[in-house]
Amino acid sequence: MLLLAEPPANQGFMTAAYVVVAVVLVGYSVGLVRRVGRALKGEG
Amino acid sequence: MSSDVLASARSSMRAGRVIAIVGLLWVAAAYVRAIAFTPVEAVQGPAQKIMYVHVPAAWCAFLAFILVGICSALYLWLKDPRLDAFAAASAEVGVVLMLLVLVTGPIWGKPIWGTWWQWEPRLTSTLFLFFLFVGYLTLRRSVFDPLERGRYSAVIGILGALLVPFIHLTVYMFRTIHPQPVVLRPEGPTMPGSFVATLLFSLAGFTVLFLGLVMMRYGLSRHAEAMGGHDAVAG
Repeated sequence: MLLLAEPPANQGFMTAAYVVVAVVLVGYSVGLVRRVGRALKGEG
Repeated sequence: MSSDVLASARSSMRAGRVIAIVGLLWVAAAYVRAIAFTPVEAVQGPAQKIMYVHVPAAWCAFLAFILVGICSALYLWLKDPRLDAFAAASAEVGVVLMLLVLVTGPIWGKPIWGTWWQWEPRLTSTLFLFFLFVGYLTLRRSVFDPLERGRYSAVIGILGALLVPFIHLTVYMFRTIHPQPVVLRPEGPTMPGSFVATLLFSLAGFTVLFLGLVMMRYGLSRHAEAMGGHDAVAG
């Protein structure tokens, strides 16, 4: 795998994938953390 | 007994929360490393960097489903509800991660293969595995007797886990457009060292996050059980 002067311009696909992964991981994690917080406080 | 379960659930939730936060920060660092400090691949361009999130998500999803299978088999043998709760927690996190695999794969495929999707063995069997574990979670919400729920879902969990090695081997057994493994090869990785280092760094972060999420989910299930309530996954 050699570096060329001009690799294909497909930055948007990478950005889209990274955004989707970040949104899902952070969303699911925050949801669980909040539920854990409520359970530890005795509300859940 | 119930207070022991409650104490165990609370410690699992607390530890899981810390581990998940560490995992999230680790994955964030992997993003920075992948985007800013790892060279752009010559042929595929920036889209190749999707591998740094796609492969770790796949690794953790398959790990999750294998854990479901192991815990389910042990549950059928030992009838320990903790094994059933852990299998359910692992399945839920695995489904979330597999969803990411099924979304990021086509996003990579479009610029590289020229198509979002092909009904070829690796992609199709992975999609079926995802549906199977969605069915597993749906079943758990539909059966209210804990023993029946545990027994039925354990059978599905074992069958699903048996698909994982088959899916791994599809790239060797069939003509497929999906790339073969680039790191776990007998002759060594086919990528430059910096690419491998970023992939392994991201993989470690995803694994830590996976562990934290499963511990939190397991703790929530056990907590609901100890409080006599209903949990969406554990029942």
